[in-house]
Amino acid sequence: MAISKTEIEKLAKLARLSFSDEELERFTAEFDEIIAFADTINQSIEGGTDQIRSVGARMVSFDDLRPDEVMPSLPSEKILSNVEGYNGFFSLERSKK
Amino acid sequence: MKARIPELAKRLRSREISAVELTKAYIEAIEKLNPTLNAYVHLTFDTALEAAEQADQRLKEDDAPLLCGIPMALKDNICTDGLPTTCCSRILKDFRPYYDATAWEKLKALGAVLLGKTNMDEFAMGSTSETSCYGAPLNPRNTNYVTGGSSGGSAAAVCANLAVYSLGSDTGGSIRQPASFCGVVGLKPTYGAVSRYGLIAYGSSLDQIGPLANSVKDAAIVFDAIKGGDKRDQTSVDYDYGSSLAECLDRDVKGVRIGVAEEFFDGINPEIKAKIEDAIKLLERNGAVVENLRFPALKIALPVYYIIACAEASSNLGRYDGIRYGHRASSYTSIDDMIVKTRNEGFGDEVKRRIMLGTYVLSSGYYDAYYKKACLIREEINREFDAVFEKCDVLIAPTAPNTAFPLNYRGSGPVEMYLSDICTVPVNIAGVPAISVPCGEDARGLPIGMQIIGRRFGEATVLQVAHFYEQSAGKVLGDYEGGAGI
Repeated sequence: MAISKTEIEKLAKLARLSFSDEELERFTAEFDEIIAFADTINQSIEGGTDQIRSVGARMVSFDDLRPDEVMPSLPSEKILSNVEGYNGFFSLERSKK
Repeated sequence: MKARIPELAKRLRSREISAVELTKAYIEAIEKLNPTLNAYVHLTFDTALEAAEQADQRLKEDDAPLLCGIPMALKDNICTDGLPTTCCSRILKDFRPYYDATAWEKLKALGAVLLGKTNMDEFAMGSTSETSCYGAPLNPRNTNYVTGGSSGGSAAAVCANLAVYSLGSDTGGSIRQPASFCGVVGLKPTYGAVSRYGLIAYGSSLDQIGPLANSVKDAAIVFDAIKGGDKRDQTSVDYDYGSSLAECLDRDVKGVRIGVAEEFFDGINPEIKAKIEDAIKLLERNGAVVENLRFPALKIALPVYYIIACAEASSNLGRYDGIRYGHRASSYTSIDDMIVKTRNEGFGDEVKRRIMLGTYVLSSGYYDAYYKKACLIREEINREFDAVFEKCDVLIAPTAPNTAFPLNYRGSGPVEMYLSDICTVPVNIAGVPAISVPCGEDARGLPIGMQIIGRRFGEATVLQVAHFYEQSAGKVLGDYEGGAGI
């Protein structure tokens, strides 16, 4: 399935990314190949995937949840120590209309 | 000759060498070799020497833990309180976590000496470690070749004896494949055996922390130290492995059923195939029973893996917006523009590619055709593993279809590189444990790895078979000259 540049631009918007024209050209070609590769899951199962019965995500069990207790958390100054220019508040450039 | 943990522990206790002297020997070797090998991206020598001094105090007592005073390294996606943890990405370049990952917290409590953080593919996405924003680490066995990835720096550090052992993370082969390329041992534990708390997430249903070491016994010692349930990771399990896996390695392989599935050998480099077959014959001569099996889902595991891993990555990496931590674009016209510019400047091409694929397979109209279908096939792969492990105790396969790639090798494009993960990804999809052990070299002298796969929480059997092979096969690789002269 060939993917159009418009679709790539739409996806990039969803993913909060953007591409220059030159990047978009290269990326669209690569992405076609990647989607063709992802598509092989549709060809590989004989009789389609309808025959596969899901037994549920067995990695996750909800039978053994811990009680919902309040536990100590890290101090906010420490958590916010990586914020650029943090001064008790988040500072960002004023949006230009 | 590279020193092993039990031997170093003995020498530290007999006062033949102190932890500070040992650490200094490693620091000296890193200063000499790291400018070429680029195995480490952050060096933590000051804290290492402090930790070594404390270890020396502790070693005066009789009950100091085995890992006390042993110098080691951590992959740069494992959080270390106050020390840089960047995932080798521009977006996290100045990030310093404010807590320790559980696996590191456990090792630190045992007196481990952290020498630094190791190079890796950006956000663990890659098979060569070349997507690192710090440049690629080089394979110590031949610096014209890659280390493999994504835990390439961790493998190179252990191979070049710039650390006694290291921790890596494995989402689709990222511990086992670089272990294979560099000729070291790498263990990917059962999903849930080691807490993922503090491991910067890539594909959360696949990620697992594990050791890279110069022997199976060392890997078992480190696994013993880091395993266990953790309240802060709800997917971790407090499985009862008994007292110590490292102490139960000395068993033979009589009667052990070894599964060999032909699908794992399709399209494999003939030199690799021959070495793995030799290794299987050696185990057979020693009483193991070989069962020839089929694993038809192997080929389909690869697209399933890329769909699931990228879907999870696109969600996990949504948090990098430049607000709470990490890089922030310097000029922008709105908050949205700031986020887009920050992510564009911060992420490399491979990360963007995977975020885009993940966004695509989760987007409306494609979710059922890709993500949902991949999850269903995942169930089928799990069932295939269950069926296989009714007939055998371990499955033996190559770790990778090839030995190390030359530097800057791109093949025909990203998909060709994805295809090289064929032998390792099914293990992550099913959450089972697997180890890579060196089993020979190709004609260029590049190491070949054999993969031993077990059933969920079957690390004991995996490690025993790997240890038996390692002890009986003798010398399978040429010596590595260099590194800490210990």
